[in-house]
Amino acid sequence: MEALLEFFTRFLTQFQSPTLAFLIGGILIAALGTKLEIPDAIYKFVVFMLLMRVGLDGGMSIREANLADMLLPAFFAILIGIVIVLIGRFTLALLPSVRTEDGIATAGLFGAVSGSTLAAAIVVMESEGISYEHWAPALYPFMDIPALVMAIVLANLYLRHRDGTSEKVRIWPIVKESLQGSALSALLLGIAIGLFTQPEKVFEGFYDPLFKGLLSVLMLVMGMEAYTRLNELRRVAHWYAVYALIAPLVHGLIAFGLGYIAHILTGFSPGGVVLLAVIAGSSSDISGPPTLRAGIPTANPSAYVGASTSIGTPVAIAIGIPLYIGLAQAVFGI
Amino acid sequence: MAQQATKLVVITEKVLLRDISKILEASAATGYTVMAAGGKGSRNTRSSGQPAVSDTFSNVKLEIITANEGVAREIAAKIAEKYFDNFSGIAYLDEIEVLYAHKL
Repeated sequence: MEALLEFFTRFLTQFQSPTLAFLIGGILIAALGTKLEIPDAIYKFVVFMLLMRVGLDGGMSIREANLADMLLPAFFAILIGIVIVLIGRFTLALLPSVRTEDGIATAGLFGAVSGSTLAAAIVVMESEGISYEHWAPALYPFMDIPALVMAIVLANLYLRHRDGTSEKVRIWPIVKESLQGSALSALLLGIAIGLFTQPEKVFEGFYDPLFKGLLSVLMLVMGMEAYTRLNELRRVAHWYAVYALIAPLVHGLIAFGLGYIAHILTGFSPGGVVLLAVIAGSSSDISGPPTLRAGIPTANPSAYVGASTSIGTPVAIAIGIPLYIGLAQAVFGI
Repeated sequence: MAQQATKLVVITEKVLLRDISKILEASAATGYTVMAAGGKGSRNTRSSGQPAVSDTFSNVKLEIITANEGVAREIAAKIAEKYFDNFSGIAYLDEIEVLYAHKL
């Protein structure tokens, strides 16, 4: 009982972190009809800066890391990406008034990873003083790509079965499209530069000091965007809202469980377990939608983008991150 | 100097831009212009300028000027056939008079 109470106290203190305050503030001022506009170009630049910082940090630490430690978490990341889509395929996509291909696309987007949610978790963890393997953000593509491939393949199998067409699904274009996405490109470039060059000066002098400030701008934009996209969500079945509310936490907790197994087997750090849960609970907001749009053109983007941006991402950030950190503090005693 | 020509205008989703430019480059048209576009259509409201998630809800307006109306109709047909079932889009033709037409 006492442990539970302590967990809730810690959970509530997380709500005072500036990351969440900016997100909730964004939702609030958008609901009040604000005329504040953060230009699109700045939003895109902020996303680049954050993922480049996370990538550089990851790349520099992979240099010293034991790569064998990465194997099990990477395998779990792939597994989680696939399982999330299967869960969505056999729950959301079967519900009445949900078109099957829309349901599968939504599951794919929730299986894919959000760079901004990842960055938000890193800032919260660093301010809490929770250490993690700095290569953990490199697990991003291991979950993101399998989830998108799985969703597109499942949707096309379903459509082929329904319409009797025999168009073959090609996997490589989906992988290529994901890798070319703006978030993943920046992250992977950062990792490569961190790994093969000596970017310490530019990292310490430029990317790292700006990280927290830029994240607050991004959170504000995402909050405002979440409110705007509610309109998209209103046009589709209410089941999407229910799914978007529950799925991020279910996915995060599954990942937390698998991360715990990795902790016992290979000493994956508690911070790493939290990050694995965060990336599993996040739903892609930047690179996922265009890949799905190209891969499942008949699916309605209002359904999947609406579910992910307006409810999924705020839940993953505002409830998911404090939940996994609180859980880690309770389970691992950090 | 002035010359009669046809202008094809296509307003569609920004995510298609790369694929459509391939169709245009393979056609007999010598060039095209792309502009960011916003507004409201049958599918939903498209903003111009505000942050839009991954361009999923952004639009572009393409203008293609050719001396041959057949070329313009052919391009429009190709784009419509390939994308307009699943993506928002509209295409229309305009008779125009090109001044200083040495490039057409």
